[in-house]
Amino acid sequence: MINYALSMLFLPLLSAMVTLFFLRKNGNLASLLSVFTAGGILVLALLVIFGNEEDVLAWDTSWFAMAGWELRFGFLIDAPARLLLFVVAFVGFLIHVFSLGYMENDPARPRYFGGLSLFMFSMLGITLADNLIMLFVFWELVGFSSYLLIAHYFNTEEASLASRKAFIVNRVGDFGFLIGIILTYWTYGTVNLSELADLADFSPSLATTTLCLALACGFIGKSAQFPLHVWLPDAMAGPTPVSALIHAATMVAAGVYLLLRIDFLFTDQALVLIAFVGAGMGLYAGFCALVQKDIKKVLAYSTLSQLGYMAAAFGIGAPGLALFHLTTHAFFKALMFLGSGSVIHACHHEQNIFNYGGLRKRMPITAITFLIGVLAISGVNFFSGYFSKDAILLWSYNFNMPVFVILYAGAILTSVYMFRLYFITFEGQPRSHNSSDAKENSILMTGPLMVLAILSILGGYFSLYPERLSSYLSPDLSVFSELPNHMWMVVLGTSAWIIGLLFAWSFFGKVEDETDPLAKRYPAFFELCQSKLFFDEIYRFYVDKIQDPIARFIEVLELLLISGLMVRGSAGLAALFSMLAKVCYVGKIHSYSLWFILGTLGFLIYSLGLFE
Amino acid sequence: MVTITPQHFLILAFILVGIGFLGLLIRRNVLLMLMSLELMLNGINVALLTFSRVGNNLDGGIFVFFIMTVAAAEVAVGLALLVALYKKRKSVLSDDMSLLKN
Amino acid sequence: MNAVDLLFWIFSALSVGGGLCMVFSRHPVSAAMFMIVSLVGVAALFVLLEAFFLAVLQVLVYAGAVMVLFLFIIMLLDVGPDAARQKISNWKFGLFGLLTSVILVVVLIMLGSSVDSFIFEGAAWPFLGEDSLSANESLPFSTNVSSFGYGLMTKYMLPVQISGFMLLAAMIGVIILSKKSDQSEDV
Repeated sequence: MINYALSMLFLPLLSAMVTLFFLRKNGNLASLLSVFTAGGILVLALLVIFGNEEDVLAWDTSWFAMAGWELRFGFLIDAPARLLLFVVAFVGFLIHVFSLGYMENDPARPRYFGGLSLFMFSMLGITLADNLIMLFVFWELVGFSSYLLIAHYFNTEEASLASRKAFIVNRVGDFGFLIGIILTYWTYGTVNLSELADLADFSPSLATTTLCLALACGFIGKSAQFPLHVWLPDAMAGPTPVSALIHAATMVAAGVYLLLRIDFLFTDQALVLIAFVGAGMGLYAGFCALVQKDIKKVLAYSTLSQLGYMAAAFGIGAPGLALFHLTTHAFFKALMFLGSGSVIHACHHEQNIFNYGGLRKRMPITAITFLIGVLAISGVNFFSGYFSKDAILLWSYNFNMPVFVILYAGAILTSVYMFRLYFITFEGQPRSHNSSDAKENSILMTGPLMVLAILSILGGYFSLYPERLSSYLSPDLSVFSELPNHMWMVVLGTSAWIIGLLFAWSFFGKVEDETDPLAKRYPAFFELCQSKLFFDEIYRFYVDKIQDPIARFIEVLELLLISGLMVRGSAGLAALFSMLAKVCYVGKIHSYSLWFILGTLGFLIYSLGLFE
Repeated sequence: MVTITPQHFLILAFILVGIGFLGLLIRRNVLLMLMSLELMLNGINVALLTFSRVGNNLDGGIFVFFIMTVAAAEVAVGLALLVALYKKRKSVLSDDMSLLKN
Repeated sequence: MNAVDLLFWIFSALSVGGGLCMVFSRHPVSAAMFMIVSLVGVAALFVLLEAFFLAVLQVLVYAGAVMVLFLFIIMLLDVGPDAARQKISNWKFGLFGLLTSVILVVVLIMLGSSVDSFIFEGAAWPFLGEDSLSANESLPFSTNVSSFGYGLMTKYMLPVQISGFMLLAAMIGVIILSKKSDQSEDV
């Protein structure tokens, strides 16, 4: 079984290496190799998940050891790992297939598919890792491959800036994460997850809010939560399948997965903080999504919002529900991203939704599958989002009222901006040549859409899950089913999406031209939303006015002290000595023998004991 | 009654070493510098033999034997080098052998 | 003053005087001659130290072979007397040399006298025979050539081999140096 897991982990790395070394010129072969690798991963993942009966599969070996300290490389394949493994392998495979169609005319396909394989390797590593340091290594690797893939169109200014932004913002979070790991080692003396769980059980008093908040920094950076959320919308500069795989379905969800892996470390205060940060993010991102013109940015903000839901679910003490929502979200958000990719591909890389319109008649499969995704995320009854989101809402209704209020407002907003997106894109009349010329894409692209659409409907039916996948969710869900106020929540949830739908229809049902109807009617509100509460500007101000002067000051110090005094100074000292030595170096054998004898004399006099 | 003590021999040995060193420093002719080296070695030999005799130990004597061997080899190689140099530079003065400096 | 004392003074004067004359003589050939005088004086001192074999070697190897080699080279290169300015390399070095040599001798003598109280201080000449043969493994001093040879062939076997090898290497080196010198690069 471990052999399956090992080969599953290293298969994509091998594929990336082969692509890097041998297939850099051969796009067709590289893409096929990558897709077959993804298929192989899926098969192996299914073997790992269903191939044995053990509840927890743990294995480790020595990675390297030094001076009494050893770093181990190991797998911990327990219930949450199995579910995420399934999601990563399955969605990853579908997106690879979709990429075949989407990237067919791209000249840099080897780089793209090599990057995808590298990403799969890193993501599987995160999923399987059994200790925090190994997790951190793969954590950085996904960050790096995300950087590579965002910068795929590196000759555009936007993509190169966005990739750098993503990388740097992630560094901030990862720094906190690293400190958290060091603190953990300091406090518990181990970074192994199962040992940590035992220790935390045994002595709960060791856990501190500082420690778990430092670890949560990793989550905040990778899952783009407040205050490090600014990178994710910009990351949409990458190819759309990448956005679907990395910035919607898997990598950003890895942050939530990290929280689940270490949930035993969290104190009540930290949990409450995370709940409010998540809920706030759900609402804030909703407002931002409401005014975006770029189809992918709408989806990016909705991803932020849904990640906020997961964080809130974790914060109010329902990690199972967080993972449940993660799973359904992976399906419907990947579906919508791929749908948007399909639209973008058909419309010649036009991304402004006000230049679309009327696409439902021209691209029926994309439109219907996209609508399913919209219904799922809005929480329309009996679609997958309805089950996972309303479970979180009910839980918060019973345990934390303020969080519930924020989340509920977020739910209404979600439905508004999602239906807005659907109406503007697919309904009405075409508003540009790009959209009036659009045609449905090939089966390579619509196939994954249809599979994901089915999953977006069925993904919420918990009882359909095989026991091997659902075992982590069951405890929380059984508690959930015994909570009071179920009927009340059905009414509330249904009314939420209906209110959203009505709002969206009244504002965006008939879009005539390229200006946003909301901007016409409520310009002040529109402007406020579009400013995204000035986060980018605040960070820019901070970097320009505070960080840069400090950096310049330190640079001056560095020039003076290190470069000037230490480097040049030591060189000068050596030069001084050499000048002195050159005086003695006269080129006459007599002087050399004189020096030699003087040196001998020195030793002799010393041995006389005159110096003592 | 003998009044000569080992110290006499030692002092003599060191004077020989000193003379050899003086010659090494003030002569410019490489041939004479080599001879001065031989003189220094001789001084050392005397000292070694004195110690050997005094300490009732043959090791010092045997060392003198080895020093002679090495000195003979050294003179042979040194003189061969000198001849080779002389063929090139037509000089046996050490002042003319300062190529490394210039 | 008995005969041994007298001999010591005579031969030490011979070796020191020969050395001084060698250092200060103008002509290389006379320098070599003085050197021979000095070496013979040292050989006589070896006899006084009862190292008869080494004294013979000293005369044969040094005064015989080595100095003949020197003379031969002097004649081969036809080195004349140093010109007036070449006689002493320069006064700075002369001064330094004198000073350093004196200090060296003084320091060495101080070192030697700091190891005073030799075993036989004031012992009668010749003082052979009464020495206690210590039980350690070191070779006792002996005037006998056969015991010298015994020491070389047992305790000092390896150094003997090595010096034989070194002589061979020196010989080959000298041959190559003399042979190829006219083809070698400009030095």
